[in-house]
Amino acid sequence: MARTLEHGDLPSLARGFSLLGSGGGGTTTMLELMLADADWPLTVHPVAGLDPATPCIAAAFAGSTYLLTERIPGSDPFDELIAAAERWTGVRAGAVCPLEGAGLNGLTPLTLAGRLALVDADFMGRALPRLDQLSLFIDRVPGTVTVCGSGAGGVVLIETDRAADVESLVRGAIVQAGGAAGVVVAGFTVGDLIEHAVHDGYERALELGTAFDAAAAAPLSELAGRLGGRMLGTGRVAAVEAAPSDAYSSAVEVTADDGALLRLVARSEVLAVLRDGSLEASSPEIIVTIDSISRDILQVDGLSIARHVALIALPAPAWWTERPERLRQVTPSAFGIGGLDAA
Amino acid sequence: MSQTIDLSALLAHPANGGLRPVAAADPATVWHDVVVASGESGLPADGAGGADADLAILTTEPPSAPWQQDALIRRIRDRGYLALAMPNADLFGVGSRVLAERVGLALLHVDDPMALAKACWLLLEGRDALTLGYVRRVAQSIEYHAVGLADLLRHLSASVGHGIALIDAEGVLLQSGGTLPAAVHAAIDFGPWLDTVTVDDGSAASVHVDSPSRAGLRLAFFGTGLNAVQLTALAVAAEVAMPAVAARILIDEVADVNDAAVAADLLRDFLEQRDTRDAEREQRMLDRGWRTAGYHLGFRIVGRTRVDTFQLLRFVTRELAAVPADSHVVTSGRGVTGWLSFAAPPAPSQVDGAVSALRSLHTAARRSFNVATGVGSVESGSAGLATTIDGAADAARIAVSRSATGWFVRIDALGLEQLLLSWTENDTFVPAAQSLLGPLISRAPELLETLTSYLDHESGIAATADALHLHRNTVSTRIARAQDLLGLDLSDPETRLAVHLACRAVRQSAGSSTSSTSANPRGATP
Repeated sequence: MARTLEHGDLPSLARGFSLLGSGGGGTTTMLELMLADADWPLTVHPVAGLDPATPCIAAAFAGSTYLLTERIPGSDPFDELIAAAERWTGVRAGAVCPLEGAGLNGLTPLTLAGRLALVDADFMGRALPRLDQLSLFIDRVPGTVTVCGSGAGGVVLIETDRAADVESLVRGAIVQAGGAAGVVVAGFTVGDLIEHAVHDGYERALELGTAFDAAAAAPLSELAGRLGGRMLGTGRVAAVEAAPSDAYSSAVEVTADDGALLRLVARSEVLAVLRDGSLEASSPEIIVTIDSISRDILQVDGLSIARHVALIALPAPAWWTERPERLRQVTPSAFGIGGLDAA
Repeated sequence: MSQTIDLSALLAHPANGGLRPVAAADPATVWHDVVVASGESGLPADGAGGADADLAILTTEPPSAPWQQDALIRRIRDRGYLALAMPNADLFGVGSRVLAERVGLALLHVDDPMALAKACWLLLEGRDALTLGYVRRVAQSIEYHAVGLADLLRHLSASVGHGIALIDAEGVLLQSGGTLPAAVHAAIDFGPWLDTVTVDDGSAASVHVDSPSRAGLRLAFFGTGLNAVQLTALAVAAEVAMPAVAARILIDEVADVNDAAVAADLLRDFLEQRDTRDAEREQRMLDRGWRTAGYHLGFRIVGRTRVDTFQLLRFVTRELAAVPADSHVVTSGRGVTGWLSFAAPPAPSQVDGAVSALRSLHTAARRSFNVATGVGSVESGSAGLATTIDGAADAARIAVSRSATGWFVRIDALGLEQLLLSWTENDTFVPAAQSLLGPLISRAPELLETLTSYLDHESGIAATADALHLHRNTVSTRIARAQDLLGLDLSDPETRLAVHLACRAVRQSAGSSTSSTSANPRGATP
């Protein structure tokens, strides 16, 4: 059944995608503002609700999400990318889906929903940092092309079977574009999404966001249950240290209210939580950090010393845990951090 | 396993591989067993002995990432270990140390894990090997040449790895490798041949030193945290080291006496031949660190009765160490002679400070020795050194009969008369004076007072008569008689000076021999 999204649903939807960001994915404020002028209400189609042959694209902002809060994207950031993809593939896109169903990118396709049918499926189901971690690439769906802005109106189009090349070439283009750019993946159909994508991200985000807002006055201890997750602990951030071997990894020490030592391991998302040295949760489980007092959903860089936080684990999207070769791509060891994969 | 090992004993062990507590380490912790492995995965689960009280020694460093450190601590504690020693344990971050504290896993740093493992084995099982190890190291330290007793103790403490002290009931005479806590010293029983004590401040194993020259000495190995096993082994080590120490005490005593005699000879040479330069003598003085350049303040401490000058020398040498100046002291005659040297002209306040230090030294010396002390004036150069020592000798001569100044006299504070007297009071002048005035003393001793007073009053008849409450004619008659008896012409200035001095010397010597029975300023044997 297609779902109709009212403008009033936007805050809850944004909150839900923030929760799915696992501490990454970027803040949704900018997209919420961009969508104020959208052609509300918008329709979200389930994968089964569209013709499987419909050519589809996925859109997202990539690079520094922090940068996007300072350097505001243009009015139609994806137009040139979609045009390039359509020129290359020779077909007009009929549908759009999120590339990353979390953070600000959960809302990104809504900017295109006026002219393309919005499909409720995405390639991550949570926030992940790398383009070679797209479900479409992991399942090696053939014929895909990736288009990326390289700054000053330039466009880079990559067609390859090696997902790692997409990641490194797009990274290069993003650096050229100044740190953040739009990315569009094309060359697949709605039918490909049936098997090779995480479904019902909008449904999940809306449910989570609504439950989160409804629990605004409820005690923290109840919040995890209402979100369908489990409470990992609450406490005060005591230290934030960079990992000695990897400048992009950080370890956040939280002194739990019950005296335990909680240790968060994070890159651009929170990847694992240890309680007194034993693993409590790890990627692809979604680890949410919430400011205990303001109930703000925190990004990794918001975990600053002396902040009191609550840690909640939400179940991983089932798509990732279905097969070992999929799981292998998103456990902490896929991020170069050993010893933290759930047994 | 019934044997246990505790952290403080391990920390006290000299060859513990550089063991150092990092976190959550309570010195009183007792472990039952020790397991060594190259990595955490090599450790048997549930500890080796099954009991929840083991020490794990790993030969690898801790992981670098904080979460890996947390996980390591957690897993090792979950395997039933109470302590973890590994190289570079300082790498454990603050949070991980907190976790170690929380779960109760002591974190220890060790430079050399295998040395620690050996230390653990010695303390747990290889007790004879522990004793033997100590004994062998005692033997090794005796093998090396020691300059003196202090050096021997240094050798012993360095090779055994614990502090060593030579003590008597009063306190510590010599120690090396640490400071014997007073509480431990107080706890040592001086009765038995062997004694081991443990108090809060530390422990010691001591043995009676069989020395013919010094009674009541003990040789003690000491340290903190030593357990009974270590103390027993150290007691044996002390027994083995004791004869060497006793022999050394004797050797040092002989050497010291000999050295003091050599130094005394050298100083006598210097003072006697002050005007002649003797390169060989100067070299010998330099060898002793006696520099004649600079500024010197001489002092002399003499016995008012017989004193053991060698013991006095020892005492003074020890006390002078606290005086902030270059000091030298040698035995000389019935006492000791010494001087303080300054490279630059000392300020008056500095001199006063040095004098007051010497006065404290004198006061301290008087507790054990019946001595008088004289201090010279500050002089410079080689000649000055001789001068200040001479001055000190004069002052000391006067001090011997000066109870009013506490038997302490400083030459700068002397009157001219005192100086003159100190010269005339010596062994050669007094007999000469006595023979000069002999006729007077033997035939008409009452004329001596009149003659002295007459000379004191510038040969004035009237003034003398007033002073002695006599008639002027009586005075003139007595003076004429005295001149007749002496056969001298008092109008000759040379003669008058000699007679005047002789009168003073004879009266002074008569006064001191009657007023002072305990002290004889001219050095006659009492």
